[in-house]
Amino acid sequence: MHLPSFFSEYQRLADDELRRLVPDRGEAVQRSMAYTVLAPSKRVRPVLTLLCAELCGGRAAQASPAAASVELIHAASLILDDLPSMDDAPLRRGRATNHREFGEAIAILAAFALLNEAFGHVSRSYEPALATRMTSLLSGSVGLDGLVGGQAADLLATDQQIDFDMLERIHRGKTGALFVAAAACGALAAGAAAHAVASLSAYAKNLGLAFQIVDDLLDVEGDPSETGKAVRGDARKTTFVSFSGVAGARQLARELCDTANLALQPFGRRADRLRELSAFVAGRSM
Amino acid sequence: MTTPKDPRVDDLRQRLRSLGYLDAGVDRFVLGPARDARRPVAIAALASLRIGVLAAVLLGPAAAIGIGTRLPGLVTGTRDALVVAVYLALLFGTAATALSFVASLVAARLPATLLGRRARLVSRAAGVLVGAGCLVYLTLWWRIANANAALLSPLWTVFVLLVAVGISLLLGHATSITAFAVMAARGGNATARVDRTPAWRLTAAAAVVAFAGAAGLLLLAAPAPASETPAPHLAVISPGVRVKLVAIDGFDPAAMDALAATGRVPTLVRLFANGAIRLGADAVRDPAREWTTIATGQPPTVHGVQGLETRRVAGLQGSVASEPHGLARALGDVTDLLRLTRPSTASGTELRAKTLWEVAADAGLRAAVINWWATWPATASGANPPIVLSDRATLRLERGGALDGEIAPVHVYDRLRGEWPAIREQAANTIATLLPSTPDPDAAAALHRAAEVDAVQVAVASRLDPRSLDLLAVYLPGLDIAQHALLGSGDAVAPSALAARLDALRGYYFFLDGLLREMTAPANNEIVFVVAEPGRIATITRGAVAVSGEHAAAEIHGDARPIDIAPTVLHVLGVPISRELPGRPLVDVLTAGVRSRFPVRQVDTYGRRTSPAGLREGQPLDREMIERLRSLGYVR
Repeated sequence: MHLPSFFSEYQRLADDELRRLVPDRGEAVQRSMAYTVLAPSKRVRPVLTLLCAELCGGRAAQASPAAASVELIHAASLILDDLPSMDDAPLRRGRATNHREFGEAIAILAAFALLNEAFGHVSRSYEPALATRMTSLLSGSVGLDGLVGGQAADLLATDQQIDFDMLERIHRGKTGALFVAAAACGALAAGAAAHAVASLSAYAKNLGLAFQIVDDLLDVEGDPSETGKAVRGDARKTTFVSFSGVAGARQLARELCDTANLALQPFGRRADRLRELSAFVAGRSM
Repeated sequence: MTTPKDPRVDDLRQRLRSLGYLDAGVDRFVLGPARDARRPVAIAALASLRIGVLAAVLLGPAAAIGIGTRLPGLVTGTRDALVVAVYLALLFGTAATALSFVASLVAARLPATLLGRRARLVSRAAGVLVGAGCLVYLTLWWRIANANAALLSPLWTVFVLLVAVGISLLLGHATSITAFAVMAARGGNATARVDRTPAWRLTAAAAVVAFAGAAGLLLLAAPAPASETPAPHLAVISPGVRVKLVAIDGFDPAAMDALAATGRVPTLVRLFANGAIRLGADAVRDPAREWTTIATGQPPTVHGVQGLETRRVAGLQGSVASEPHGLARALGDVTDLLRLTRPSTASGTELRAKTLWEVAADAGLRAAVINWWATWPATASGANPPIVLSDRATLRLERGGALDGEIAPVHVYDRLRGEWPAIREQAANTIATLLPSTPDPDAAAALHRAAEVDAVQVAVASRLDPRSLDLLAVYLPGLDIAQHALLGSGDAVAPSALAARLDALRGYYFFLDGLLREMTAPANNEIVFVVAEPGRIATITRGAVAVSGEHAAAEIHGDARPIDIAPTVLHVLGVPISRELPGRPLVDVLTAGVRSRFPVRQVDTYGRRTSPAGLREGQPLDREMIERLRSLGYVR
């Protein structure tokens, strides 16, 4: 299934902001940052931020700093995840991973630089109260309840038999937390009410897990030329497929996407683009 | 072709739900109205309104049943129950809204450190608090509602407790999410952390704990087992005497002693010839309360009539007791002003214990009562209903029209209504003949008003064919009305004027003596009880009981309480005495021979009194009754 047609418009907006923030020039660290950030990507997270902002009555441009920051954090997490001390992945976004291109030390520094740039960009772009809330959300998605906690649990789980709750915790930390933060930041950038933020958070939470389940499925049956990752890269890990089988995992992913759509009910037809996004996640093949 | 069901997927789906997935947010009912709100105060207010609606819908009807049981006079039918449910729904809705609003704002004012990682914990604590309060209330409500009833079957109790647990969990949950939303709006993290313990397990555990707690509370609050013995058949074994019970309110034994020497009260002297029993008076000088105690043999806390003045709640046929003093009085005045309540008078709907004429009728005796307090509305239910001319009978006879519980059975009204002109004439002639003149026009008018009331009752009594009745009870309030009018104002009065008033009051004793002459004339197989209470003049501290006629003891003395009268009269009539009556029959008023041949017999209970229902549609005489009582000095 291909990306929804409206995606390119938002991708472009996110890309422009990212290029401005991380130009592909200068020293190795900066080039290393740009190497991962500007690599071909669907930009699902920043697009989610922009869509949520528009849905809540804001303009996409209002949310583009937040969207870019979300993507910077995501890029940093990819660099760190791929390190030899972690997943030791050879391929990312269809090309060699960052540490293989620039060396491990530069990759680590680039990841840290991206993280700091993300928070700095948010704090510079919004008025203090809003910046504080966004920073709080984003730091939560990186910390022990987010990427760091998820990755740590994932490392410890490698070659281990883990239970379902642990698997959920890993996925929530590595994927769900940033999805939720992306949606909430978009809504907040548009000045949304608490109820709207909560609805979009529920949407993102369900969508995030569906995204991860589909990722697991693609790892089993995907085409590396489409996914940009090595197939069976997660063979040493327990995945959703381990618990439910391929058909069960696909069924649960669909149900999660349906639930995400239900959370959009208060917004009516205005949320159709987010519904298309969830439909894409449920049926994606890349 | 359908895909076979995979149990692994079902299990995972359930676990995902418990982890907060596959849930688009069922909390929209509570948070829905706040969707456009940004400020914590607005969110708290709008969400609290929805919680109020939940509380109103869930708790209003439940509380209506509870209060209906606690105040038997309040709910007389389905319509009353619905109106009370609406009132209580409004009350609980408002209270829940206010509490939830305050609790949410308090939560939002907590230090920022609490609003981050511990926001969920704080909001859950708020929910647990509200849920626990709700459960305790509902459990105690169930206990109170069943205190006097035989409805406490284990199955019903388990069912009710499960419903209570459900309501409590729902309200607690609603409060919890409101508090969380308000905290999120204030600046906390809008995305909840997922608990490691699945939500359904937490809910199930909370439900089990709540159920166990409620059951424990129910056991702790259990009252002593109430008597559920059905009313037995009351076998009458008696010397075969008829009883006349003449109730005189406002009687001063000291005045009687002084007047006896004048020779102008020969009837009273005859009635008191055997001596008298000193009768204690209630500290609360309220005629409806005191005379209902005498009629039922039960204290006010049991018989339910707390006072003459009551309040009727708008839209209801039932009434509640009216507090004469303090904050409750002020509250009553405010609700009167708002037309939520209106003043009314004591009635049989408050009455929870059987009167002695009802017990006598249950035993198969022919009984009649005239003008006793709290006898309206009168009903003619049962196989052998007593004749009841209620405290509103005179008003109905004057006005005519359809009965509304003033007199029962109906044929008695039809006959008396036809005889009403003659009754009035008889009363007027009695007054003209017996009531001495007095020079003070105000005093004369007061005496005339009082005499009119008493003379009408005696005239009516004479037309009931007393010889056909086993029990005739007549309440004569005239002396109390006169005494209260002449001496009860509390104004400073010149000695000469006071002497004139006392003279006028003595004149009323002469009138009363003449009035009772024929009614209490000695007759075969008849005992006359004169029960006299001091009325509303607080300086008279005791009343008296005189007993005359066949089988009455030659010498009567001693002390008695108002609760002793009913068992005494019932014993004389040959009716066994209920063990539920706290008083004792005054057996010494009977001759030794009768005492030995007819010992006191007992039964466990007279059974529960059922409040009259289905009457009082228009209450046409309500206002007139109050006006009449006001003119007679009973109500302000």
